[in-house]
Amino acid sequence: MKRTTLLGTLVIFAAVVGALFLPYGPVSALGTPVPPYNPYPTGILPPDLGSEIARVRREVVSIENEALTQWQALTPPTLTGQPPTLQGTGQRANQLLGKLMNFDENISPFKNRACGFCHMPYAGFSGPIPSVNLTMIAYPGSVEFRAGKRTPQRYTYSPFFPILNYNETQGLFFGGNFWDSRATGYLLGSPDAEQAQHPPVDTQEHALPDTACIAFRLSTAAYKPLFETVWGAGSFNISFPADTEQICDTPGGASMLGGSATPIALTPEDRTKANNVFDHWGNSLDQYEASPDVSAFSSKFDAFTKGTYTLTKDEAAGFQLFNGKGNCNSCHVDGRGTTSTVLNPGFNPDHSKTASTTPKFTCFGSANEGLPLNPRDAIYYQNTPDSFGFTANPDGFAFRDLGMGSFLRGVAAPNPNSNWTPFAPTVDGQMQVSSARNVAMTPPQCPTTEAGLTPYFQKEFFHNGYIKSLKQLVHFYNTRDLYPYNVTSGHCPTGTIEKVTCWPMPEVKNNIDMTTGKLGLTDREEDQIVAFLETLTDGFTRPYPDRDTFTGACMTCNPATDPNCSPARQGNGSLIPTPPLPPCGSDICGVPPVPSPPIP
Amino acid sequence: MNKLLLKLAITAVAGSLLSSNPMIGQVSPTTPKTARVRIIQGPELELAKEHLTIIRWTTNNPGGSPVHYGIVRYGTDPKNLSQTAKSPIRLNPDHSSTIFRVRMDDLKPQTTYYYTVGSMGADGTDDGTKSTVKQFRCTR
Repeated sequence: MKRTTLLGTLVIFAAVVGALFLPYGPVSALGTPVPPYNPYPTGILPPDLGSEIARVRREVVSIENEALTQWQALTPPTLTGQPPTLQGTGQRANQLLGKLMNFDENISPFKNRACGFCHMPYAGFSGPIPSVNLTMIAYPGSVEFRAGKRTPQRYTYSPFFPILNYNETQGLFFGGNFWDSRATGYLLGSPDAEQAQHPPVDTQEHALPDTACIAFRLSTAAYKPLFETVWGAGSFNISFPADTEQICDTPGGASMLGGSATPIALTPEDRTKANNVFDHWGNSLDQYEASPDVSAFSSKFDAFTKGTYTLTKDEAAGFQLFNGKGNCNSCHVDGRGTTSTVLNPGFNPDHSKTASTTPKFTCFGSANEGLPLNPRDAIYYQNTPDSFGFTANPDGFAFRDLGMGSFLRGVAAPNPNSNWTPFAPTVDGQMQVSSARNVAMTPPQCPTTEAGLTPYFQKEFFHNGYIKSLKQLVHFYNTRDLYPYNVTSGHCPTGTIEKVTCWPMPEVKNNIDMTTGKLGLTDREEDQIVAFLETLTDGFTRPYPDRDTFTGACMTCNPATDPNCSPARQGNGSLIPTPPLPPCGSDICGVPPVPSPPIP
Repeated sequence: MNKLLLKLAITAVAGSLLSSNPMIGQVSPTTPKTARVRIIQGPELELAKEHLTIIRWTTNNPGGSPVHYGIVRYGTDPKNLSQTAKSPIRLNPDHSSTIFRVRMDDLKPQTTYYYTVGSMGADGTDDGTKSTVKQFRCTR
């Protein structure tokens, strides 16, 4: 124990010192800077990207240090019983292990990316860089500036999604994790645990080239003793070949790896051990995300359901619209009925039918809401090789995000159930219905997502970040089919305002959900739904852990001088014209069963 | 008949298990199927632009699968409605009525179309509604 404490103290010291001297760009194991990958036209990368990356990395290291301290302060659990159980603090130990892993930068080739880099607590465990949210929407990975194609989904309540399954009675898919549900949970019994396994080996995120690198890097982690406490002594008794460090320092997709998914030459026995560690990586991260540290059930709404908070007049009106005219709860299931027996404004307590006391505000399904293609998405520009010979998106602007459809075809990720493949055309364009909880979470010092005189935190919404404020989000649902134009983003006709009185054509026209699109909400009613959404932010009944870790600057603007300074027009100053779009790439839209009707 | 009873029993047991599991209690439920689904408003043209047409109608809540498809069968000959468009909507179990809206993209301009509407659950169960033949004309 004393040895562990000393080790932990040394590591904390090293981490703090390291944090003070964080480099601005990735550095190879030999200490040479990795040349940046910048295929982007001027204006795609935000000008403050370097300093913002450094800022978030400092915050990540700070939370990692906090977790190390929390671990040191934890009374060790004792293994007892049959089956053996870590008595006492076993669950907390597992959650803290997940937290330590989540903020560990060593789980990347250049030791510069942790999971938390894209998922910080103050943003509801979604994207922490306002300028990235405003522009390139996807976050730069360990190889700067490779980036993914979608916005980072919030962790909060993701562990509650069931294993992906096709409900034959209903003719619908439920569950999974990720926007396209590709983390199915088929192997670990938890989609969330399997979700945690993807980014470390995603070429545009952490970019480790082999899942065994996770075991290799954990084997030298300061918190290795905690891992062994939770998952067993000897977990890391793996004979790694001499070139393992060199391989793990090489980002995935590098041509020198020859396309191998398992470039580290392990014996079958050691490969199994490394796989076990990798599975436990997912298990512990899932436990962290399911814990009150992340999924807290501590919002105003939770207090309201317990009768300890009275909704304001606007919040109550927004709740009734959420259930009624807005029909939001047909997908964002709120566990309540719509037929309140008390009709007075600000009704309290809620006397409607109660289906769940801890509603998750999702139906765990998927839908295509008909969002326009966002030409700011970094993925479209990564059609040339980087210095490692890797090209993220050879299709360029011929890329179309078919969401779950591409997953079921095995295009976006391997599909573990071939019986699902025929359903691909019925789910083209569909993305997971995220929980509405914490959609409005921001750092305390920037208390809103909505642009104006009040300090605000710029977020991004939906899978491609096209929507920049909650007002826009509700307005989109309300008027998508009231102001439809046959144009792409950046080309709305003169006399219209994009996102206000003009909605460009959907990226994927197939399977568009028509529950919404023309709801008939007034401007004030839209605002009231926003007010209700803000009641779903955790941290009201008790402080939300690590929400106070944001060290960046809030944004402000003056509506008197800035035409984009309103939630309705938020981000419009950053719109760029979509270039002429080539047809959808054959490697996406030509894979059987092909989309029906064909996607242009 | 015995198979039908067995299927019903399995469905009932599965349903009770689903509703008793708090982890998945919020998966959209299959609601009781309405005995007779009827159109109570429309169908009518909600939108007609050069690139997009939307047909809209309202029924009593059909129940059944939480996702339903509005279906429009259409064509330029009222006796040969050979084309089909369908769009998904989600039922709200607590709403007494359901609005169906169906998108039709890229219709021919300056053309008169004839159509009927109906609906079905995502499980393939037809709701048993069918409107009379109506018509609209694409502008421009």
